[in-house]
Amino acid sequence: MGIHREEDVAQLIREDSVHGSLYTNDKLFELEMEKIFYGGWVFVGHDSEVPAIGDFQRRTLGREEVLMIRQRDQSVAVVSNRCAHRGNLMRIEYSGRAKYLTCTYHGWVYDLGGNLVDVPYPGGFTKPKSDLGLNSLRTEEYRGFIFATFAPEIEPLEAHLGKAKILIDRACEMSPTGKIKLTAGWVKQRFDANWKMLPENDTDGYHVNFTHSSFARVIDSQYDAAALGSEESLVSQTIDWGKGHAELDFSRTYKSYLLWLGVKNPERYAEYLRLMKEQYGEDKGDQILRNGPPHATIFPNLFLGEMNIVIFLPVSTNVCVQWHTPMLLDGVPDDVNQRILRQSEAALGPSAFLLADDSVISERQQIALRDRADWLDISRGLNRSEIDADGVTTGHITDEVTNRGFWNHYKAVMTAEPT
Amino acid sequence: MNTPHLESASETTPSAHIQTSPEEYQRICEFLYREARLADESKYTEWETLVDDDMVYWVPRGAGDFDMNRHVSITADNRARLRTRIAQLMTGERHSQTPVSNMRRLISNVEVFKTAPNEYRVLSNFVLYELRMASTRTIEIWPGRVEHHLRWVNNDYKMFLKKVMLIHGDEPLPSLAFLI
Repeated sequence: MGIHREEDVAQLIREDSVHGSLYTNDKLFELEMEKIFYGGWVFVGHDSEVPAIGDFQRRTLGREEVLMIRQRDQSVAVVSNRCAHRGNLMRIEYSGRAKYLTCTYHGWVYDLGGNLVDVPYPGGFTKPKSDLGLNSLRTEEYRGFIFATFAPEIEPLEAHLGKAKILIDRACEMSPTGKIKLTAGWVKQRFDANWKMLPENDTDGYHVNFTHSSFARVIDSQYDAAALGSEESLVSQTIDWGKGHAELDFSRTYKSYLLWLGVKNPERYAEYLRLMKEQYGEDKGDQILRNGPPHATIFPNLFLGEMNIVIFLPVSTNVCVQWHTPMLLDGVPDDVNQRILRQSEAALGPSAFLLADDSVISERQQIALRDRADWLDISRGLNRSEIDADGVTTGHITDEVTNRGFWNHYKAVMTAEPT
Repeated sequence: MNTPHLESASETTPSAHIQTSPEEYQRICEFLYREARLADESKYTEWETLVDDDMVYWVPRGAGDFDMNRHVSITADNRARLRTRIAQLMTGERHSQTPVSNMRRLISNVEVFKTAPNEYRVLSNFVLYELRMASTRTIEIWPGRVEHHLRWVNNDYKMFLKKVMLIHGDEPLPSLAFLI
């Protein structure tokens, strides 16, 4: 099926099924770049990754190279990593610190905000320097999470986040100071599969018993009660927060503190418990320590993966990359962050007990969907999902409420009129 | 888990050699080859017999200055977690290794440093070719450097550290569920 126009995309997404070509069509991938990655808000990185003036992180948004840089006024800017002169990549390293950004090709010099400040051999260059800066993206942050967009006219970030702001709040509130620290570096994992399989799989509560059966057989984990029981026994939920943001909510399963960290004796981290209750009070502290962090995707490229922060990077129709870093907490004893580090390696990354298997299943899907796959079913739970007064839809943990939420928003974005 | 104590690269100076005999060097090379063959052939139980009780199996994000307690690793197993890793592979339901990858690795540039009367620090280079049988059936190349810490116990060597420094450890890597 050829994809030529926006209205064709609408025909590929139904309430109860999606067409296989959504994962394999190159024209559709190009349209995703334009509509989703260049036309909307995308997650770039976190405030804590660029603590000092001049600190930068190199990131890829869609297929565009950018730098996230701490400015002299302490704000964080996201600028194109491409010299405005002849298109050379300004910085090749993943991270570093700079006073200025100097192009290695002809020596053009930009300040940290991307303004052109020096052109060597100025006698032959008569244009105003202000005409040729590094393209600066519109950038907004929410509680240290930095998002950017190539589309200056779109709605504010808070409108894009909508009701899902509470998910970021919940992640930050795992720290007694309300701050997280992404300072452990990023592990990068390649999937020979379409990028959309990542947000879909990360909010799929149905696969755990099957894709992760080997994990379940050898590790006694919090997921036993949260996602591995019989259909009747599972009390965890799928949640569609709207705008493509979706959550697996395991919290109803947790009866004691820190189960989400795989900790059976919470007194082992007594100081953390004390700090949390001191900061948030007995009731809210109790709630946070029992419920744990969100397991939720923020459309299109951020995953709040419990005690991990994850970025999805589309590479081509058939390849994507996932970056993850442990969500370390500010203001906690070191042993808590050590535990988070080790839990991160257990769950995420190429050799992890979980993600190694997820990536292979995605790759098998990609092989099988290669050509003539038609309709794929996402109807599970249509018979029993509930929508509340705020428009938030919830369902059984195994139901495809989350996937339908993703596709519903995807369809809206992909078929929207250009702004 | 404690960070294994690792010396800097300067140990490659001749003075760092506490006299290893040609026989010791030969036996250590034989150990490396056996360890490689068992890993290549996914003989997990036999591979595990080469491991001592204080084993650390560590794949940092490359050869850089990584601290296990501050930086996220690709793999950072203590003995208990390594046991679980092997048990998971043995279930037969570890999809990322079902069927197991076809693998062969070449080892070279072996340097042996005796660090205590019965302990050795061994550096080597390797290239592993993996046919990804569980998904794309394409060849993946895994080049890098390994640091083994070995101990002579009961007339054989046991590993108590295997640190694998991939050349591309900080780049996107596919599923790495096998023992590297």
